[in-house]
This record gives sequence, structure tokens and C-alpha cells, in this order.
Amino acid sequence: MLIRDAETIWNTLKGIICVYKPAEVSVQKLRTIIINKICTELNETEVRPPIDYVAIEGDPMKSLSVSVRPNYADHPLVVGPRYQEEDLPLSWSNNLGWNTTGVLIFGLRSGTRSAKFIRENRPTRAYRIKGVLGEATENGLKGGKVVEKSTWRHVKQFNMDRLLSAMQASHQKKMFEMCGVDMQSQLGYELAIKGLIRPLDGKIPVVYGLKCIEFDGPNFTIEIQCVNEYETYLTSLIHEIGLKLHSTAHCTAIQCIRHSYFTLEHALLMKHWNLQNIITNLEQCNKILSENENLVKQESVALI
Amino acid sequence: MLRRIVKLSVRNNNCVIRNCSQFCENINKNTSLQSTNYIQTVENSLHESNNSVLEPLNEDISHVSTYLKPTFNFAAYINKSETLQELLKLGVHLYKLEKNEEIVQFILGLKFENIKDHILFLNDLGIETEKIGEYLTKNPLILKEDVENLKIRINYLKYKKFTDDMILRIVQANCFWLTHSTQQIDEHLGFLQNHFGLSGNEVRLIATKSPKLITYPISKVKLNTFVLKEEMGFTQEELKKIILHKPSILMKGQHRILQAFEYLHRSMNIPLERIVEEPEILTCRKKRLMERHLFLVKLGRDQFDPKKPNYVALTTLVSETDSYFSTEIAKSSIQAYNAYLKSL
Repeated sequence: MLIRDAETIWNTLKGIICVYKPAEVSVQKLRTIIINKICTELNETEVRPPIDYVAIEGDPMKSLSVSVRPNYADHPLVVGPRYQEEDLPLSWSNNLGWNTTGVLIFGLRSGTRSAKFIRENRPTRAYRIKGVLGEATENGLKGGKVVEKSTWRHVKQFNMDRLLSAMQASHQKKMFEMCGVDMQSQLGYELAIKGLIRPLDGKIPVVYGLKCIEFDGPNFTIEIQCVNEYETYLTSLIHEIGLKLHSTAHCTAIQCIRHSYFTLEHALLMKHWNLQNIITNLEQCNKILSENENLVKQESVALI
Repeated sequence: MLRRIVKLSVRNNNCVIRNCSQFCENINKNTSLQSTNYIQTVENSLHESNNSVLEPLNEDISHVSTYLKPTFNFAAYINKSETLQELLKLGVHLYKLEKNEEIVQFILGLKFENIKDHILFLNDLGIETEKIGEYLTKNPLILKEDVENLKIRINYLKYKKFTDDMILRIVQANCFWLTHSTQQIDEHLGFLQNHFGLSGNEVRLIATKSPKLITYPISKVKLNTFVLKEEMGFTQEELKKIILHKPSILMKGQHRILQAFEYLHRSMNIPLERIVEEPEILTCRKKRLMERHLFLVKLGRDQFDPKKPNYVALTTLVSETDSYFSTEIAKSSIQAYNAYLKSL
């Protein structure tokens, strides 16, 4: 790292970063880890030296002597490190569940505002979900207790494709119903010619694309583009697919591969989390943010 | 920061007020502030001159000041207190001691003469001066103990045939050892000896290898022994072997070692005998184990049998850095490994 001055580094720490979330760690935990890393490394660089203690002593009736001596009260061992964990605001723009891995966006300092806007704009996210046919588990994930077993050999790739396209179509129909406009009206027509639209409500999940990208034996991989989704929704979706195919299914992996313009290649692996890499990533993400203004400020209901 | 200050000051308010008075008494005894005499002098001067209070006062009263206001840290006191300054020079992280109210009260009431002996005692044991600050940060309550008691505790170790190097290692690695009485230490050493059937030398080996284990709660050691013996199925002899090799396994979280074991035994098909030979593998995080194992599986290099070619040793699998692992063990590249990690 070329710059050793802590204040300069601190001033550059504004914006959003894109990290890779591993499975079985909560987003809150990741937040604490990042804050700790940044603060410890900042404290190792050249921080502000203690301010001197100006002592004015003597008899005020006669003459006073002014002396400057080192101020122990401002020593880092007494007041604590210069950069403390509480001083660094950090918030996430999408909450991934405990078992989900993948792209996660954090806002640092003034970037927390951008993170909030990104969240409220409801950009689409893409997931790659791996599933296994033939077994249903209690929680729909691979760690859960197996509650049901079934045959799966009758399921072929084309069955899967047919079901997924039907599901996608019904979701798109729902998307227009949810915007609150009569489908037979002129207004509805004008909305429809814009293409895909995002829902006003931030709670109801809407799926825009559903595709089986790999089908091999009982294992299958699905790629899904959606908004407002959450982990349980995705696991129940896989469960539902299993039932519709006259079999049962559960998830083995849920991975977020894209969040608006941020993809896996921007995401920083946990082992690479240090100040240097975080700042590089920050600059990269801020560039993407400045190139795509619609991420922060959204005017149209049409999907980006 | 502000929120923390408010929270702390609210919590510490009561204790700090008490500290304040205690500390000021201390200062008054030591320094030449003489602030307690202030009221007397003022009263005397009033009586002598019979002046009205409205008359201007010619005397110098600049040394009179109010008591220190309630505060939440040592910073308010340190410029006036020599003891705190000496502790700072030793390198004690004073801000870390502020978390515990009792310790704050105790430290503020200290005089440097009283703790000099403790510091000299630690220095005589062979702890370097820079390390003493670190030691006192971790265990400030050692200053409460009598130096004679501490000497008895060291003598006990010498009586039990611990060499000076061993004692230094024990004291440095486990800061809380010396705050335990000889009875407690004796009880814990005896427990280990009986529970695992160890000889005298073996007990000394374990105590030096992992000094924290001796002061670790016995109930937790028993719990981890249960996990190793009943849940994992190691025999008493195997257990002894594991403990002599890696005593700190008894201090790890029970779920953590069980998870690592289950992955090793069920997914990687490592027999118990192999784990006994390399027990440090049990202390490895399951996630790390899984990432590396799955990468080897993908490359077709998951060969953990020492009798066959292309064998991968369990300890080297987890102990080395990612770049070493990906190039030397997996015979791939770090870029490929990173890309693989992003696909998990």
C-alpha cells in the first residue's frame, strides 16, 4: 500500500463494496468482520499523534509560566485506538439468508445512502440454485431431515423445461396484475409495451426468468432472475417444482450470481478482505455506480 | 462513538463517582494540591480580616479546583496520576481495562510502590519488559495478589519438577495461571492425570504445551472427552495419544470438533486410526476442510491413503496457505482455486 496516512485512507472509504458471502455465515457477522478488518488495519497505519498538553501554571497574581508537555490523556493506549468499530457505518443493500452464498453489496460511510437506494429501487437479482430430485427434506435444504422419498427417473429435461416456462409465464401475468391497472385498458396497454415492469410492493416476490441450465440424473441446476425474493421462497420454489414433476426435490446450493450490475467477478472473497483490496473494490464499484445512474435514482417502472 | 460514551457513562456513573472520591483522596495524599485545606484557609482569612464576602480577595486560590466530574475512562485521571503513567509506560492497554468497573476502581486506588514488587517479580521470572504490559492488560487482577503467594505458586511448580523454561512458558501463555491457588492447580493437574491415566512427565508435557488447559473448567474438559470417546468412538488409549499430541483439542467447542470429525469420517472416509495419528486435523474448521477437499475431488486428487501413489497428507492439506495448497498439493493454480471458491 503506497499511502500510509490513515486520514487519507479514511477519506477514500466512501461508497459501496461488493463481497462474496460464503454459506453458513450471517450477513451481520460479515459486517462485523469487515468493520474489524478495516479498523485494525487503519490503526496500524500512521494515525494522528497525541496532541500536546499545554499547562499554564504559577501564581495568577504574578507571572504565569506556559509549558508544553506530552499529553497522556490522548495516548492511544489510554483512549483506545484512533479508529473504532463504532465509528464506521456499514450497511448492506441485499440481505442474503444463512445458506445462501454469492454477491453481496455493502455501503461504507456515505455509501450507506447508495446502498439504501439500491435496495429501494428493487433491481433484479440472478440466482443459481442446485437441487436434487427424489428426496424432500424438512427445511427444503440438504442439511434437513429427509421426510419423503420418491422416484425421479420419469423426469426428463423437457419435462423440467416445460414446467419452468409455464411458471415463468404465470409469474409475468402476475406482474401485470400487481401493478393495479386494468389489463383491458389503454393504460394497461401502454404499460405493457414498456416490457417487463417492477412491482410497487417490496414484499411480493416476482420471477422474471426461470431456466434449467443443467440436468443430470437427479441433480439439476436452475437459473432464476427475480426481485423481492428471500431464501425460504427459493427453497419452496424448488420444492414446488419437485411436486409438479410428480416427484420431490430439495435445494443443495443457493448462489446469488448477480445483483443489478454487480456480478461474481466483482465480488471479493473473504480471504482477500484487507484494506488494500477493499479500497480497490470500492473504486471499481463506485465507477459502476457512476456509470449507471438508474441504480441510485429510478424514474421508470420499467425493469433495467 | 457518542452513543457508546452515553451508554458507558450511564452505566459507569455510580461506580465512577465512587472512584472519583477515592482517587482524589489518593491524589491529595500524594501531591501538593492541598485542596482539602482550601475551605479552612478561606475561613481563616475571613475571620482574620473580617472582610465582607463582597470585597475583592487578594489571596491566590488558583490551585483550588473542583473534584473531577464523573468520567468513563482513565484519560481524565492520567495526567495527574503517577501510577497510571507508570502503567502506561509499561505498555498496559488501559482502555481495555475500562470494560470492567471493578478493575477501574481497583487500578485508580493503586499506588506505584505497592505494585512495584509485582512487576519486579514478573521480570525475575523472565518475562520481557515489553511483555509485562501485555500481561497486565490481560490479567490486571494479579496486582491484587500478595507477592509471597505468587512466589509460593512458583515454588509449587518447581517442587513438581517444572524447569524454569517451562515455568516461563506457562506464565506467559496462560496469564491467569498465577491467580489460581496451589490447591486449585494441584486439583486440576491431578484430575488430568487420573482422567487420562498419564504419567508425571506426560502431565508436565501437557501443562507446558497447553497451559490454558490446566485452568480450563473441568466440566468442559469432561464434556469434550465425552464427545471424543462416545460420539466419535475413540478408545482410552487413542484418546491419550490425541491429548498428548494436541492437548488444546479439549478446549475447542464441542460442536466444532464434532462437525470437523463428521466431515472427515463420513465425507472423506478417513478411518479413526489416521485421525489419531494427525489429531490437529480435528481443530481445523469444517469450512476450510470442505473447500479444499471438494477442490481435490473436482481435480480427482482426493487420495488420502498413504500406501497408494499421489497421497495427500491430512495436515498439509489444511495447514498451508491457499497459494501453496493450490499449486503444490492440488497441482493447479491459485486463480483456478479462487474461481472455484466463488462457485461454492
